[in-house]
Amino acid sequence: MEAMLYEMLPLWVSLFPIFMSVVIFAVSKRSEKMRNGLSIGTAVVTFFSVAAMYPSIAGGGVIEYTIFNILPGLGVSIRLDILSFSLAVLASFVWMLVSIYSIDYMSHEHGGDRYYPILIFTLGSCLGIFMAGDFFTLFIFFELMSLISYVLVIHEETPAALRAGYKYLIMTIIGGLALFFAIIITFELSGTVSLSAGTLITEPGTLPFLAFLSFLIGFGMKAGMFPLHVWLPDAHPVAPSPASALLSGIMLKTGAYGLLRVLFQVFNIPLIQEARWDLMLGILAVITIILGSAVAITQEDLKRRLAYSSVGQMGYVILGMALLTERALVGDVFHIFSHAIMKSTLFLAAGAIIWKTGLRNVNDLKGIGKQMPVTMGAFTVAALAMIGIPPLNGFLSKWTLSLGALEAGLPIYVVVLLISSLLNGLYYLPIIIAAFFGGEEHEHGHGHEHGHEEKEFALNVDEASYGMIIPVAILGLSCLVFGLMPGNVAFELSIKAAHFLITMGTP
Amino acid sequence: MSNHIPVLIIVLVLGASFSIPLVARWRKTLIFPAAVTPLAISFGLSLYLFYLVGQQGAFSYHLGEWEPPWGIELYVDYLGAYMIMVLSSISLPVLVFASRDIHHDIREEVVSWYYTLYLLLIGSMMGIALTNDLFNLFVFVEISAIAACGIISIKEDRKCIEASFKYLILSALGSGCVLLAVAMIYMITGYLNFDYVAATMTEALSLYPYNILIALSLLIVGFGVKSALFPLHVWLPDAHSSAPSPSSAVLSGLVIKIYAVALVKMLFRVFPTAIYEVVPVLDIVLFLSVLAVVFGSIFAMVQDDIKRMLAYSSIAQIGYVFMGIGLFGDRALVGGLLHIFNHAMMKAMLFLAAGMIIYATGIRRIKDLKGIGVRMPLTMAAFTIGAFAMVGIPGTSGFISKWFLALGALDLGRPFYVAIILLSSLLNGIYYFPIVVNAFFGSKIEPHPEHKDVPASMLIPILLLAAGVIFFGFFPGPLLDLLEQAISF
Repeated sequence: MEAMLYEMLPLWVSLFPIFMSVVIFAVSKRSEKMRNGLSIGTAVVTFFSVAAMYPSIAGGGVIEYTIFNILPGLGVSIRLDILSFSLAVLASFVWMLVSIYSIDYMSHEHGGDRYYPILIFTLGSCLGIFMAGDFFTLFIFFELMSLISYVLVIHEETPAALRAGYKYLIMTIIGGLALFFAIIITFELSGTVSLSAGTLITEPGTLPFLAFLSFLIGFGMKAGMFPLHVWLPDAHPVAPSPASALLSGIMLKTGAYGLLRVLFQVFNIPLIQEARWDLMLGILAVITIILGSAVAITQEDLKRRLAYSSVGQMGYVILGMALLTERALVGDVFHIFSHAIMKSTLFLAAGAIIWKTGLRNVNDLKGIGKQMPVTMGAFTVAALAMIGIPPLNGFLSKWTLSLGALEAGLPIYVVVLLISSLLNGLYYLPIIIAAFFGGEEHEHGHGHEHGHEEKEFALNVDEASYGMIIPVAILGLSCLVFGLMPGNVAFELSIKAAHFLITMGTP
Repeated sequence: MSNHIPVLIIVLVLGASFSIPLVARWRKTLIFPAAVTPLAISFGLSLYLFYLVGQQGAFSYHLGEWEPPWGIELYVDYLGAYMIMVLSSISLPVLVFASRDIHHDIREEVVSWYYTLYLLLIGSMMGIALTNDLFNLFVFVEISAIAACGIISIKEDRKCIEASFKYLILSALGSGCVLLAVAMIYMITGYLNFDYVAATMTEALSLYPYNILIALSLLIVGFGVKSALFPLHVWLPDAHSSAPSPSSAVLSGLVIKIYAVALVKMLFRVFPTAIYEVVPVLDIVLFLSVLAVVFGSIFAMVQDDIKRMLAYSSIAQIGYVFMGIGLFGDRALVGGLLHIFNHAMMKAMLFLAAGMIIYATGIRRIKDLKGIGVRMPLTMAAFTIGAFAMVGIPGTSGFISKWFLALGALDLGRPFYVAIILLSSLLNGIYYFPIVVNAFFGSKIEPHPEHKDVPASMLIPILLLAAGVIFFGFFPGPLLDLLEQAISF
């Protein structure tokens, strides 16, 4: 009985939120309170349901079964292993905090009746991606999540949002079609697309290369990899801040997750090394890192800067894959954790600031740290983690990644990581410094109009409501906790997941 | 009794068609029941036929007990049973939709004629699906051509008359080609029955190679015109967009497909396959299908009338069916044939949804559809599902047929055609998605005093078809089993 219950959990965590989104939609017409309560409740229940799977997975166990077959060899199936568990627990954790944060943030916004069902539906489809037992199921949930999250992107319905949404939509279709191509080639070559069937493609050739390229386009587009990142800096900032946090923090990671599966389960390490695809991936990663960080410096809009920073950070994740060593993979998976937590902290903190002050330009944020110390404190911790200052989690992931690069005999990648850290410092530190130490000159302003405005704002603003600062503070603390203790859950999971991937990828 | 089913289905629908004017003289309110009952019965019978063929395999029926080659033979093979099922299952919801919609498009006096023509069209298409006789095929082709013109021009406005006249001319040209081909085949083989013709064809090929080649090309051109294979599609956008919406739904959903099926029967059952190794007939079809798939979509992108856009999209979609034929491989052909049903569902649903919007608001221009989703959420939700299916999002039926077509292309080592399918899917996305997006987001539409409410009798057919698109996206099994049998000619 208990075993059965465990078997059902992966299905439950993806279908329960999808089902609840319908309920929330139905309820939202009657009571706003109930709608909000149900949304939080669903996210919390989902998180604990995911966490409950830990005992059966931690020991190396795998849950897998087929639900039904659409065509011979092609069906909807479930598979939960350590890698999918790691991402699922991360996603549901961040989602839970974001849902709580949303209640206050969205209370002033329009369209809450649409926002909450979509938010919870996206959670279900996102977890569905991680629970999928084959590429076809993964593809269904991937498309579902990408298309549904369009509604989150264009929530504001401003012309800018609609333009960004259009770009997002077209890129999503292109990515989806590329995945279709990749999956059908894999199916043609191996007769199955299951994740439990070992390495699916073992011989290099034209079709395998096309498959690799298409997978790279499909998942790389989602992960914001150069040159397919173009939708990201437009789409992430225009969404409401909690949605930006999820888009940047979690949904980008589904692309990385897909790529990990592809590299180590569709193909294997010898094949990738023989075909030199790792070099291709590495070069793309380096360009992504440098480009993302460099362009972020030039952005004046706070959320846009954060979005470009995401591009750079996803470059690290892709770099970690390209190295193909176990140590690098530990850093890679851990960076998925770190970046999800850091970036959602930053976006939520930015959201709190925007919500309170309406200011989006980084130059206007002088002195904000004194008015909103908790929010800016969390922002600072996360930003320092981004730069890679010990003992924060960003440092740990960069450290492990660098060790992996050295192990693979590619110290050049370490240099890239260092350059990128420097660039990160260049665009994060000024915000922090100005927030805590700037602004005095304006308070003693000479009465010109601009200074006057600053003065008014300095007087009026205080900390955002508890519903918003508590999630931000928890996430900010997580940055510290996951960096301070290398024996933490996230790091343990990363080690296990990396080991799992390496054993899968070595024939 | 049960062995008379094939002819019963056809006779029932044709008989009902002719009795409707009588019913209309007697009692106007009974027209709709008199039309929908026989169609519903034939739908039930078609499901039984579907089951029967699945159980005992193909069987033939001799009309009036006249043995072939003298009598007319109906041959219920897997393909025939499949097509009968497609025809009756799509035409039934469209007829229900028409019962309400048609009144605002045409004069009250001709409403009964609309039902007559509609049933005549469906009955003749069922005949095309089942007949095993060349001349009988031609007769049914002619009946359906006339009936199809009728249900376009019944709207009696200038555009419709013009479009149906264009259609009539080109369609008559196609019929002429078919008749000529039939005559040629009869001349060299002395038979009209498919099986007898096929048996003597191999021998005839060495004796009269040119006659057979000409017959073959005439058939391809004839059926190509009628099924709007690029570049013979010129009549379609006008005809399908100006016709009343239920007419557009059957014209785009069923009528162009039935000729493709007739062509499949001729190509693979009547003509010897050896001929395709000598003459690149199928490669030409394949080439044209690629052009259709790409250009149909590109033309659709620049349309500003929603029904015209849907019509151009049909040209692209019929390209998939011909691609399945032209690739000449098992899985590709299954994909092409499956797409007949899938596209019939999607396109009928999309045309009905467009018809619903026109019925309720009078809006035809795509630009004016902003915010329509807020007013007509269910209709636009169905439209969204249709758009997803057109792009081939997994979980919709459009994905399954594309999957099979693409697998078929890969089987034959031609990934180029997979790329074409994907390109066309992308183009589909580019013109379908903005409609959906504009309908739901970005603007608020106020309820207009002239806007009518959405009647349930029109909404239910749309929702049924939408549910079908999702259902067959997950459970295409029974259809595929049948089709895999159907392609072993």
